[in-house]
Amino acid sequence: MDEQLIVVLAHAAGLDKALAEFPEDVAAAAAQALNNTGVIKVPDDPAAEPWPPMRAGVGL
Amino acid sequence: MSAVHWLSISEVSDAFAARSLSPVELLSTLLERIEKLDPQLHAFIRLDAEAALDAARAAATEIGAGRIRGPLHGVPIGVKDIIDVAGLPTTCHSKILLDNVARQDAAVIVRLRQAGAVIIGKLSTHEFAIGGPSFDLPFPPARNPWNLEHHPGGSSSGSGAGVCAGLFPAALGTDTGGSVRNPASACGVVGLKPTYGLVSRRGVFPLSFTLDHIGPLTRTVADSALMADAIAGYDSADPGSTASDARNFGRLLDSGVRGLRVGFVRHFHETDMPAHPEVTAALEEVVRVLQADGAKVDTITLPSLHEFAGINRVILCSEAWSIHGRWLRTRPGDYGQLGRRRLMPGAFMSAGDYVGAQRRRLQVIAAVENALRDVDVLMCGSSMDPASRIDDAAETQRTYPRQARTPFNVTGHPALAMMAGLASNGLPVSVQFAGRYFDDATVLRVAAAYERATAWYKLKPPIT
Repeated sequence: MDEQLIVVLAHAAGLDKALAEFPEDVAAAAAQALNNTGVIKVPDDPAAEPWPPMRAGVGL
Repeated sequence: MSAVHWLSISEVSDAFAARSLSPVELLSTLLERIEKLDPQLHAFIRLDAEAALDAARAAATEIGAGRIRGPLHGVPIGVKDIIDVAGLPTTCHSKILLDNVARQDAAVIVRLRQAGAVIIGKLSTHEFAIGGPSFDLPFPPARNPWNLEHHPGGSSSGSGAGVCAGLFPAALGTDTGGSVRNPASACGVVGLKPTYGLVSRRGVFPLSFTLDHIGPLTRTVADSALMADAIAGYDSADPGSTASDARNFGRLLDSGVRGLRVGFVRHFHETDMPAHPEVTAALEEVVRVLQADGAKVDTITLPSLHEFAGINRVILCSEAWSIHGRWLRTRPGDYGQLGRRRLMPGAFMSAGDYVGAQRRRLQVIAAVENALRDVDVLMCGSSMDPASRIDDAAETQRTYPRQARTPFNVTGHPALAMMAGLASNGLPVSVQFAGRYFDDATVLRVAAAYERATAWYKLKPPIT
């Protein structure tokens, strides 16, 4: 992930303090996010639902 | 009879009933062993000896009067320190929650107390069940009883180390990406992740709401079933809890595996994450043993292990960020480095990433469900390597993710890891079995058959 983008996203997430004190950890976290999202084959079918389904009135 | 500290729950229960051992004698023996060994093992964050002795005396009185509540009555149990025990801090092994004293028992603790168990104390973990093993936290990391220079797996580290070292016969752990089964694999004990929804999560500090499970670590499969019997049950206060008929988890332990169909997921350890040769050899030997006992073992294919791991991490990090974001914004320095690095990725994932992972999750669940129509149980590796040295951060970081446990957190199917031998360096290697939803009993059945045929559980670590 681009370094400047990491900084922008970190600020947007409110991680200013972490960015100032632990910039390497913030960068490592951003890299991990990218690595993990990249391997998932998100369904092409627009009707493919997420898990878990909404269960109205159950467990509330 | 074995030394008292090596007795299983079943053996302890029989000894109590026969009046050849009392809960107070057992606890006193274990407390002496803890005093001797825990300064090296660091399994405990907080030993609660006084309350445990009170509970053991009460159990002794009841048992003496013939009022035996069941097999856990008077049995000392350790508790991972993200699970609330009333009156004790739930620190989650973190500076963030050092003063977080629990007001109430978690649902699983309520159940264990009803069964007469003796809560012996709170056990070390990775920070918030994810950041470890680490040396920059308020408490040291637990060590592996087979070799103190190596890690014991995690995040239920103290649970695995303590059960393995004979500090207590059973412990509770939690499992979001494999955290019961990892220490079970590293320490050579039995770790069960029950079906999602079977055990209430109420009173357990969440890591990831849709992936978190609570499960037992024990030295035998029969003890795992006894623990599951005690802690499973519907809880209306847990939105993920399921009103299932599943109970009496040990009912098939003596049934053997003749005629059972086992689906061996070879690609997990052969091509997706090629395992250490001694792990591969151990898994082939498990196949041989099960076949010799009459099981039919076929190779089956599931989605790739990398994708299961990716789904697990995206969901875990997204949900964990919603919990930890407030502290990571204001108190980042109060986390250890690994905790920061593993809890912050959610800040860099989008809502679309999270929902996309949940959508793919439903498809991979369907793939596993399809596989379980053709076989009764799945078998695969657990850890792809024996435990690394605890002071070798690079090797630990390389090997920790090399595991096949996340699939069953993503899908919620019951899964159990257990010892499958010792590697040439003297550290345990492991195998994993998984089964259909709420058919935890069949998973335990296969594990029990394998245990009978091999008796790895009789091996004890060199720590004395």
